[in-house]
Amino acid sequence: MTLERETTATAADEPDEVFRARLRDFFAAHHPGRPPKDPRERLPWTKAWLATLFDAGYAGPGWPREFGGMDLSFARQVIYHEEAARARVPGPLGTGLNIAAPTIIKYGTDEQKQRWLAPMLRGDVVWAQGYSEPEAGSDLPSLRTTAHADGDEYVVNGQKVWTSHAADADLFFALVRTGTRESRQRGITYLVIDAHAPGVQVRPLRDLTGGHLFAEVFFDDVRVPAANRIGAENDGWRLARTSLGHERAAGALNQAAMYRRVLTELEELARERGLLADPLIRDQFVDLEIRVRIIRYNAERTIGAILARGDAGAASSVSRLLITAFEQDIHEFAVDLLGPAGLLAKSAPQAVQRSRWLTGFLRTRASTIGAGTREIQLNTVAEQVLGLPHDPGLPPR
Amino acid sequence: MSGADSAEHDQLRQVVRAFLTEKSASADVRRLIEAGERRDDQVWSQLAGQLGLTGIAVPEQYGGAGCGPVELAIVLEEMGAALLVAPYFATVALAAQALAASGDEDAMARWLPGIADGSLTAALAIAEDSGSWDLAEVAATAEPAAGGWAVTGAKLFVIDGHTADLLLVAAQAPDGPGLFAIDGKAAGVDRARLDALDLTRALASVALGAAPAVRVSIDRDPAAWLGQVRDLAMAALAAEQLGGAARCLDLAVGYAQVRQQFGRPIGSFQAIKHKCANLLLDVESGRSAVQHATEALAGGQPDASVAAAVAYAHCSRAFTRAAKECIQIHGGIGYTWEHDAHLYLRRAKSSELLFGPPARQRTRLAELIGI
Repeated sequence: MTLERETTATAADEPDEVFRARLRDFFAAHHPGRPPKDPRERLPWTKAWLATLFDAGYAGPGWPREFGGMDLSFARQVIYHEEAARARVPGPLGTGLNIAAPTIIKYGTDEQKQRWLAPMLRGDVVWAQGYSEPEAGSDLPSLRTTAHADGDEYVVNGQKVWTSHAADADLFFALVRTGTRESRQRGITYLVIDAHAPGVQVRPLRDLTGGHLFAEVFFDDVRVPAANRIGAENDGWRLARTSLGHERAAGALNQAAMYRRVLTELEELARERGLLADPLIRDQFVDLEIRVRIIRYNAERTIGAILARGDAGAASSVSRLLITAFEQDIHEFAVDLLGPAGLLAKSAPQAVQRSRWLTGFLRTRASTIGAGTREIQLNTVAEQVLGLPHDPGLPPR
Repeated sequence: MSGADSAEHDQLRQVVRAFLTEKSASADVRRLIEAGERRDDQVWSQLAGQLGLTGIAVPEQYGGAGCGPVELAIVLEEMGAALLVAPYFATVALAAQALAASGDEDAMARWLPGIADGSLTAALAIAEDSGSWDLAEVAATAEPAAGGWAVTGAKLFVIDGHTADLLLVAAQAPDGPGLFAIDGKAAGVDRARLDALDLTRALASVALGAAPAVRVSIDRDPAAWLGQVRDLAMAALAAEQLGGAARCLDLAVGYAQVRQQFGRPIGSFQAIKHKCANLLLDVESGRSAVQHATEALAGGQPDASVAAAVAYAHCSRAFTRAAKECIQIHGGIGYTWEHDAHLYLRRAKSSELLFGPPARQRTRLAELIGI
């Protein structure tokens, strides 16, 4: 691994359009092509792409330069994500980049930053999340996985669940209980755990699609150096909710563009099959059309607000709720449109478009569960945006 | 991407909001409803004179501020929130924009300055019995007459048509459909307020028996002109609906914070929270849709027609839903005449049907996007 770059990727005085053209050229020249068919080859394939990006100075658009990032302005980050989406290059590996990195950048020690950030960005080390537990889902502050201090180490015992990319993970960023069982948010510590350490066991979890996106992770007397603790003991809850500026909003337009594409593809399918003559079907398309456009308008408004006043505003808090409902509805509508043919799975020779819509119908059940259920998110919006009172029957937030 | 409001827009919003908070409070709205009046003359002259709001979308050469759909939307959003009783939408959003879009410089020079300074109110009369805004369904006729034209027909659902100083009427001339300007008090004009749902905005019937008219020449295909007028009107109405929906949400949230049942505020119950949060999704989506539509119209973007139709379709549903939920969250008190919730429901449903049944709006949108 090298921190030396072939090029200096950002010249601050470079005009936006020159920057965009340079990115476009780079993505075109180095695009890794289609992902390999054999799932076992996908991890090295993705890692090779991330290393290519990193070594050329095109990784981490919102990250500080000292950790291998590009330190782009928000406007430039938007351009970066537009070009990445346009080129359809592979995305990041694991959830560390979006969720753990901001916490490390903001609260990690210098040694931790040096040790973890660049290898994460380059794809050399894959990170996975250890938050949810069988008994701690929406009520995450009730989590029970314990960490006891023992000399300059912690000893971790417990179980995490719904961990995506666990099978590929080298490190888990986990929330563990260091306080009393009743301490809730005040007794949680942020710990980075070696996935290959003795006592760690990963068991793939078969999800309702039949796939293995998630795993259960068991910790049995796993010894973790205290140097892997981020922030102070019992201060992990606050740290876990860190974001890096408006980094995530910079890619908001791409998700909108992706669903625009998906809807257009479904319209083409309906047209080919002669279904658009039906006024009831047309009406449902109009509904989805309105929604997909509004998802884009929301993204534009959020980005515009950040550029103009550095504040994402309320539009950003509703975007995810709109998108998750949309992705569920469009896939179910597609399956309905196809009738019995919509029921055929991938290996059936008569399957339509390799069963993408049926797969999506099943897969998107997770959209309104993962990363906070729709019900919890609506509560959050009601309390934090609208100022409605917290349920007095529940523990404080 | 322009995205954000500028400081001028923020300032415009603040000025209009402060003015309406003072001049169009619930008691003012109710006083005008009870009196059957269409405006408070003093408030109208202030919003026209001191604030210059009647001229906001009128070109500068005709005495206006020369702003466009974006600024008009800001004003209408605030008026929608306050349920201002005044012929503003009819005069400014419909008639003034219809005149400005005609390209007829004589007509603009004759009437736009009066609209801009508030001395002239106007109404746009397109629909007849069917409520359709399709020129092909216009049955009223215009014949050449001494010194101009004579228009005969029966217009319906004309917003503020019973009080407007100037009527702009679509009618079939020998050479095809056209637009005709008629003095509201001219001989042959017989008009009346319709007894209808919305108490804060009047619909009128306008019967014309060889009413003397001046033709407003339209510098292109009249259907294209009407399409543009409708796009502008839909975006403006969407903004007004957005303001109404946001106010309904405010009222509901405010009540849910203070109303105690079972020893706690009802807003602490998840069922109420989810209702309110879902309304916020509608309102924020509407805000994005209105912003996009008005900017697309102002910039002459190719997707402006679709954007206006999307904004109107979304905000129509959002406002009606918000008004209904506002009543539901208020419970019994929301069902009383004294509470303003029903005034919003009345405005919401009326605005939703103004250009025809929602199903027809959606069919039109399907055609616009090519499905």
